[in-house]
Amino acid sequence: MKQMQENDYKGRVKPSWCPGCGNHAVIMALRKAMTSLNYQTHETAIVSGIGCSSRFPFFMATYGFHSIHGRALPVAIGLKQARPDINVIALGGDGDGLSIGGNHFIHAGRKNPNITYIMLDNEIYALTKGQCSPTSRIGTITKCNPYAWTADRLNPVLMALSFNASYVARGYSGDVKQLEQLIKGGLEHKGFAFIHIISPCVQYNKVSSFEKIKEIVRNLPDGHDVQDRVNAMKYAFSSDGVYTGVFYKVQRPAYEQRYEDVISKAKEIAGNNITIKDVIKQFQ
Amino acid sequence: MKDLIIKITGTSGQGIISSGDILCYATARKGYYVTTYRAFPSEIRGDGKCYYTLRISEHQALTATGNTDILVCLDEDTIYEEIGKINKGGILIYDSDMVSELKETRNDIVAYPVPLKTIAKNVATERSRNMSALGVVVEILKNLHLEEQILKDIELRYKLKTQEVIDSNKNALNAGIKYAQNEMIRKDDYDKVNIKSTGAKLIMSGNEAIGLAAIAAGCRFFSGYPITPATEIMEWLAKELPKFGGKMLQCEDEIAAINYALGASYGGVKSMTATSGPGFSLMQEAIGLASMAEIPVVIADVQRCGPSTGVPTKTEQSDLFAAMYGTHGDCPKIVLAPMNVSDCFYQTINAFNFAEQYQVPVIILSDASLGPRRECVDMIDFDNLKIVNRLKPNLKEGDIYNRYEDTETGISPITSPGDMYGEHVVTGLEHTEENAPTPAPDVHKKMTEKRFKKLETAAGQFSKAKTYGDENASIGIISWGSTSGAVFEAIDTAKENGISVQALYPRTLYPLPTDWIKNFVRNKEVIIVIEANYNAQFKSTIVERCTHINRGTEVLEFLKYDGTPFTPEEIYEEIQKVYNVQQSKNEVITNKHTHF
Repeated sequence: MKQMQENDYKGRVKPSWCPGCGNHAVIMALRKAMTSLNYQTHETAIVSGIGCSSRFPFFMATYGFHSIHGRALPVAIGLKQARPDINVIALGGDGDGLSIGGNHFIHAGRKNPNITYIMLDNEIYALTKGQCSPTSRIGTITKCNPYAWTADRLNPVLMALSFNASYVARGYSGDVKQLEQLIKGGLEHKGFAFIHIISPCVQYNKVSSFEKIKEIVRNLPDGHDVQDRVNAMKYAFSSDGVYTGVFYKVQRPAYEQRYEDVISKAKEIAGNNITIKDVIKQFQ
Repeated sequence: MKDLIIKITGTSGQGIISSGDILCYATARKGYYVTTYRAFPSEIRGDGKCYYTLRISEHQALTATGNTDILVCLDEDTIYEEIGKINKGGILIYDSDMVSELKETRNDIVAYPVPLKTIAKNVATERSRNMSALGVVVEILKNLHLEEQILKDIELRYKLKTQEVIDSNKNALNAGIKYAQNEMIRKDDYDKVNIKSTGAKLIMSGNEAIGLAAIAAGCRFFSGYPITPATEIMEWLAKELPKFGGKMLQCEDEIAAINYALGASYGGVKSMTATSGPGFSLMQEAIGLASMAEIPVVIADVQRCGPSTGVPTKTEQSDLFAAMYGTHGDCPKIVLAPMNVSDCFYQTINAFNFAEQYQVPVIILSDASLGPRRECVDMIDFDNLKIVNRLKPNLKEGDIYNRYEDTETGISPITSPGDMYGEHVVTGLEHTEENAPTPAPDVHKKMTEKRFKKLETAAGQFSKAKTYGDENASIGIISWGSTSGAVFEAIDTAKENGISVQALYPRTLYPLPTDWIKNFVRNKEVIIVIEANYNAQFKSTIVERCTHINRGTEVLEFLKYDGTPFTPEEIYEEIQKVYNVQQSKNEVITNKHTHF
């Protein structure tokens, strides 16, 4: 097996994000995490939806699937179920994953496929030049809501916890070192790993800039019990700052593992060497 | 008598479908050809009416929608609905415990009032009176020797239930047979029915045939969302795919379902989904993605009445536009339409082969009259089925692999995750041959042409159209999908009555087989396009796309959109009308010539 270097993961296309965009830190952290796990490019697939962050697969040398808006998760889960041998990473923005693709997020948590889902949250629709997203703050002013944004925010970490994702973490683009650890933890986790990354947009979001986020983020306290889901929810709820780190981590059988039982049961009935000619007996 | 149509009707919950299915299996297992038609309401119980029609014959029949020979009514309403559609000399069997006197009857049929409730109650429970009714039918058709096989089929059907259920069904059946033997004064001549048994056949529904073909074609991944009348496909595959190490996954919605399938296919596993109208609408964006990103996938649309929720249990052929043009943008894909259950099998094999070969989404247009209908299928030669797999490149270290390489045929070799040196990104964005996204005008033009080139260079390679009837006929009929069966039978009737008609049945609807249509139309004075929708969707496509047929040939339409399939009788009536108009027109022309 080839010993991978960070540069081996660089794709044919150079990142097209704005200078200063939070996503640069995320791609750096992902490459580092993959290097430390020696992920082979041909055994890894990155699946995204639509949005600035969803351009990610083009900038990587792995297999990639840049799908349609909101559908990174179903494509990634389908791929993982068909090919459990492949490392599958789903990835996209807050609009992609919480708005148009929100339904899939719910069911990914419940099903627990062994994939890592990285949500790059800039609290705005940036690719369409700045409209409010499900994580925009109330009162935000954009061209689409020139007087005020009138809907409350979603809390992605709290959502993931309630959907029963088996690994839930939050990071921030200002801390690549922590990001690398969180992503590595997610990749190693056998089950649905959700990593929420606050990744500021330098172009369209002046409300949640690097400086402002830096003031409010803080590490989860040492000794936080990652198996305690209720306590994890309390930290996710917290109004005294935005916590980063691993909120929750438990082991339960992954979706594809559970389906192995289905296959065993079916084979118990049918035998191991069934052919199509055995199947048609029921039609005779 | 060459064949026989039996119809069992009643209210939802009375066991119409169970008794119909049992009779259907038993007939097929005795070696007769049988084809069926079922209509049922969406409610599980309630006032909705159920109809189960079986046609038993020596040769493969194409439809069971014709007039009835033996009508069995378990409720009163359906008697008056159906009595007019009994053939002369036919039989009506009804429950005299529920209907003391018929409000309407006919002199040219034989009506048997049978106290079904009492018969069933004496040996089992009232609920088993469907089986007593079946017993009466079995005795009337004594010549077919169905009794023993039906008893076996009762056991098979209820083997997972209690012995008590099996016994009451058997007892009720036997009681019905005894009643017919001892208490009924026979006034019909169905004891003379003589249909030859021609040996064992397969018996399956259109939906099961699609599932079976998927497995035979190498499909190992199905993702779906329950929807009438397509659910049976996912239920069947849920049971069978895991036996082959494959997967059937139920998703949160149809959008997820098709995207799961695209992810799986990207992983190199042949994948499909199945749905009906509302789900098909939700899938459109992802069908465009499959077309743009060139990912093989098969989508079966078992059409029902639309738009919106429409009539979920009733049939229509109104998704043709959605199948051909439902996705935004210029979207190459293939649309196939199976004609009967057997064709559901072979067209699904074709669908996977085309999807793999041309890397496009392939849509199979079945419908609510075809999906649930059980029918005999001749034994399939699995060893000689042609199965196509996607073209893979031979790559070695240092090779540069371009996923969307523009080749002579437009088909680019394809790798899947896990293949070394084949890493690439697929995308719904317009992209270069090197799979880099770009808005460049020359690239979009060139790559659009590349994607369509796959279909254009393969023109004529898709499921071939078929013709039926006299090629010298001046009247032509074009129909598609399940309607074609009734058309062919109407053509037979027309021939018996001295009217010559030829039918064209395109099995590929998109890309439109223009050469076939052109050839067919060549010597026709008039064409009738027959389809089950309001908008004349196929006719308008032909008229728009095959401009050559506008000259000289009159193109008529004959449409139906009440949720029921065409019957050979109503098509024959239409043929007569068109024939008469043609005759009088020709006379006028002849007269003119004479006077000139």
